[in-house]
Amino acid sequence: MRNVKTTACRFAVATLFALAASAAPAQQAYRIHVDGLACPFCAYGIEKKLAAIEGVERVDTDIASGTVSVTMAKGATLDEAIADQAVRAAGFSLRRFEALEGAGAEAIGGRAR
Amino acid sequence: MSAPITAALATCCLCSASAWGAPITFNTALPVQTGGWVLREQAIGLKLADDPTAARRDLRVAGVVSVLGYGVTRDFALFGMLPWFDKRLDRRAGADGVRRRGRGLGDLTVLGRLTAYEHNAPGQTVRVAPFAGIKAPTGRSRVRDRHGVLPPPLQPGSGAWDMLGGVVATWQTLAVQFDGQLSYLAHGKAHGRRAGHVARLDGSVQYRLWPRELSAGVPAFVYGVLEANLVHAARDRAGGRRDPDSGGTTLFLSPGLQYVTKRWIVEAGVQIPVAQRLNGNALGHDYGVTAGFRVNF
Repeated sequence: MRNVKTTACRFAVATLFALAASAAPAQQAYRIHVDGLACPFCAYGIEKKLAAIEGVERVDTDIASGTVSVTMAKGATLDEAIADQAVRAAGFSLRRFEALEGAGAEAIGGRAR
Repeated sequence: MSAPITAALATCCLCSASAWGAPITFNTALPVQTGGWVLREQAIGLKLADDPTAARRDLRVAGVVSVLGYGVTRDFALFGMLPWFDKRLDRRAGADGVRRRGRGLGDLTVLGRLTAYEHNAPGQTVRVAPFAGIKAPTGRSRVRDRHGVLPPPLQPGSGAWDMLGGVVATWQTLAVQFDGQLSYLAHGKAHGRRAGHVARLDGSVQYRLWPRELSAGVPAFVYGVLEANLVHAARDRAGGRRDPDSGGTTLFLSPGLQYVTKRWIVEAGVQIPVAQRLNGNALGHDYGVTAGFRVNF
């Protein structure tokens, strides 16, 4: 009887943890295709501008593909118009804006929605 | 003598505005982020000892040029440039030699650059930007030594208000970058003398030597740089007369190397005069060397 109670208790705790995890907001990530980005020194400005946006947790540039991946803090999202403004302020042009599926940094390189 | 050195120092003045992964000896049209700063420190050395006279003049110039650039808006950037010079002239006078030397902060140049045309595509950009500026006589221009007041080419400052302007165009890709510039420096009058105005045409190609294949992220680049500078200086005027031993045209070739990262650049180059057509007994260039760094912040 005691074993049954212990097992039920463990099951309840595990269920609660699972529910809490599924209820927590996922980290949203985006991939921004930038035109005009063609040297390492230029990448600094665009990263600085995007990193200054509220809720942005991480910015990674891939100069070969001309893309910048942006990972947001949990629960935060990035508006395309704000991203466009940041890219323009850095002196470049936004070609395409993709929201990526999956959580956080793992989503970078993942499937576009 | 003064116009060649004026032309050489004009090179310092204009190259200082190139605060990006860009030419070493002149400007570029690449952007400065809005609200962003770029600092450039450049050490220069010039030797002008190609003297057709028996005086065997030997002029050496060492200096440091500090540049601070600021992105006012997306398309407009401002630059302030302040040089420090140590100029030394040795000449033969009878059996002995005479050395004269002038040191100190030079003239402050403030330059504005506006991007007038821009075309961006994946991995490349084309920009055209006119620029204009003013050089204020902040440097001392009446420095004396035991022989008296130093001649104008040895003074750290010119004493004159100068105007400069031009247009620069840049085509940058991930593998190679081309820059071209046409500029004009109009000297003002000071102490009864006006240095000859300087017109120049510059071209630069920067080729990515390493890495050959781009990896993920933002790898550092090593660029091989080759630049050409065609500089024409008019004759100086003093007391209403033209100085016959001043002014002329020089073509420089300038090979160099740049190591470019996201945050900073280190670079070095040599400026070699490959053709000189100078007036009268004007002193010709031997070489110039440049080494420096730039920082983004």
